[in-house]
Amino acid sequence: MASVSIASVNKSFGSHPVIKDVSVEIADGEFVILVGPSGCGKSTLLRIIAGLETINSGTLAIGDRRVNDVEPKDRDIAMVFQNYALYPHMTVAANMAFSLVQRGVAKAEVERHVHEAAAILEIEPLLSRYPKQLSGGQRQRVAMGRAIVRNPKVFLFDEPLSNLDAKLRVQMRGEIKALHHRLATTMIYVTHDQIEAMTMADRIVVLRDGKVEQIGSPLDLYDHPVNLFVAGFLGSNGMAFFRGNYRDGQFVSSDGLKLPFATRGDLEGRDVVCGVRPDDFILTDDGVDATVDVLEPTGSETQMLARWGSQKFTSLFRGRLTAPPGSSVRLGIAPGRAHVFDAESGLRLDGQPPCHA
Amino acid sequence: MIKSRSRLALALYALMAVLCIPFLFPTWWMITSSFKPVSEIFAFPPTLLPRQFVTDAYGRVFELQPFARQYFNSLYIAVAVTTGTLAFSSLAGYAFARIRFPGANLLFMLVLTGLLIPSEVTIVPLFQMFLDVGAVNTHWPLILVPMLGAPSALQTFIMRQFFSGLPHELEDAARIDGLGRFAIYHRIALPLAKPALAAVGIFTFLYSWNLYLEPIVFLSSPDKFTLPQALTQFVDAYGGPMWNIQLAAASLTAIPVLVVFVIAQKQFIEGLAYTGLKG
Repeated sequence: MASVSIASVNKSFGSHPVIKDVSVEIADGEFVILVGPSGCGKSTLLRIIAGLETINSGTLAIGDRRVNDVEPKDRDIAMVFQNYALYPHMTVAANMAFSLVQRGVAKAEVERHVHEAAAILEIEPLLSRYPKQLSGGQRQRVAMGRAIVRNPKVFLFDEPLSNLDAKLRVQMRGEIKALHHRLATTMIYVTHDQIEAMTMADRIVVLRDGKVEQIGSPLDLYDHPVNLFVAGFLGSNGMAFFRGNYRDGQFVSSDGLKLPFATRGDLEGRDVVCGVRPDDFILTDDGVDATVDVLEPTGSETQMLARWGSQKFTSLFRGRLTAPPGSSVRLGIAPGRAHVFDAESGLRLDGQPPCHA
Repeated sequence: MIKSRSRLALALYALMAVLCIPFLFPTWWMITSSFKPVSEIFAFPPTLLPRQFVTDAYGRVFELQPFARQYFNSLYIAVAVTTGTLAFSSLAGYAFARIRFPGANLLFMLVLTGLLIPSEVTIVPLFQMFLDVGAVNTHWPLILVPMLGAPSALQTFIMRQFFSGLPHELEDAARIDGLGRFAIYHRIALPLAKPALAAVGIFTFLYSWNLYLEPIVFLSSPDKFTLPQALTQFVDAYGGPMWNIQLAAASLTAIPVLVVFVIAQKQFIEGLAYTGLKG
């Protein structure tokens, strides 16, 4: 087990910078998820940690050891790939044993490790099969088994669940989390799926265009996004945004509607974007009339697509609701749950320090 | 409905059967005629099966020329060329597919231009070169030129196409598992390349087996001859072909080719697919 320290790392492909001055400290045993839209550099960062890519500047350390120039095999890491990367011409057992055999570990020892890992993942009956004879979920499990067998200091996962169907993804998500709990090894996990990030991580690193946007626990990021990007990226239904400005301490939307956001004297005259999570809307007589476009009941919850003026948004309510399309409902915002961002820079404007952990 | 479909199928089969004739007839004629006396070969009307079954021609093949020796020559040259080409083309193909080095694309284009140069163009300078090193009337030109020269360009291309299609993640995984570049080639890429290697092997074997121009240029003593060249030597005092003997020799020559085709039909077609020529 080991901590991972990424300090001011830069990486370019040719003249194109892909990682820009990234610094992340990952504690021993932590489960950190790198998340961001495609092309944000998250996979490159993972490959840098693995040693599959070199860096142009900065320092990378695993434990107390600087590993900038250390070969992947000597970094004491194991990686699980998106396409599993099992050797097709070897059996499951041979795939799992490969790295140990390569290191010259004694045969009996290798077998013990393989069987232990297979037992953890419940893939013992598959050991003599070839990868092509396995289902996607089984292959994923073998790929994890291959990583466990190495007994590494750090596990690296590169979008390991994106080739699985939705149901299996949820199941494997739980299994990986349980695995982390059991092994207590540092894990670094890349995904573009914010639900995976929210549900699995101890801490999330949000990346965009090769830069760190925010680092924090899932709920920190959910409750206190430092900018519009993070606010819009996390959360399954997407935050509702309203453009406008503050007049006489009140938020007025670009349509000229006074919306029920908290008064802010300090933002007088400033162009801002106010954000609300769908589940932070409330039905209240003190609210502002919104026009209902669509109502989507799912049983336990009801999702409502509505409009304040021309600005559309999604809101989510527990329980059931009746409101025919075209009718209006009075909506307010749960106290203290609104987010205010500068319209130009996109930065959060609530005076609270961003939670950079 | 069903009836019209089966009728269509029947018509198609009939058409294909007719189209087969131009391909099958020469082989049929070669084999059956080798068992006929000369007088019957050109009899009119022609006979489909020998009326008088004689095997003399096969004995004469070995009397008139050191045919067994020539058979061995062809065989060992083809095996050497195939083995060497497999080694070189897979190494070069892997390098072009996976190693990023300055000028890689330019170099690859250069290799491909080798495909555009007919061997007739290079044979005279090659003859000069081999004459200078005293390798004329030896088998060296027939082994080295296909293995290292233009003919292996196609094989390098096929191997490169195959290796380019292997997932990069496999090699990343191998690197993390502790393999170096050559070990990745040898232990991961090569075992997975079996179908491509089979195709390259078959192509190369047939190429070498059928080689005609090079042997007649480079070789002059009958015990060094290869089969295609030896076939032309079964002539009578006036230079006319000794038909039944020549056809017997040709039948014997065709055996390995037919065997290779029958065993490796599938790989042969897959090999064509790797060149990117599939529809």
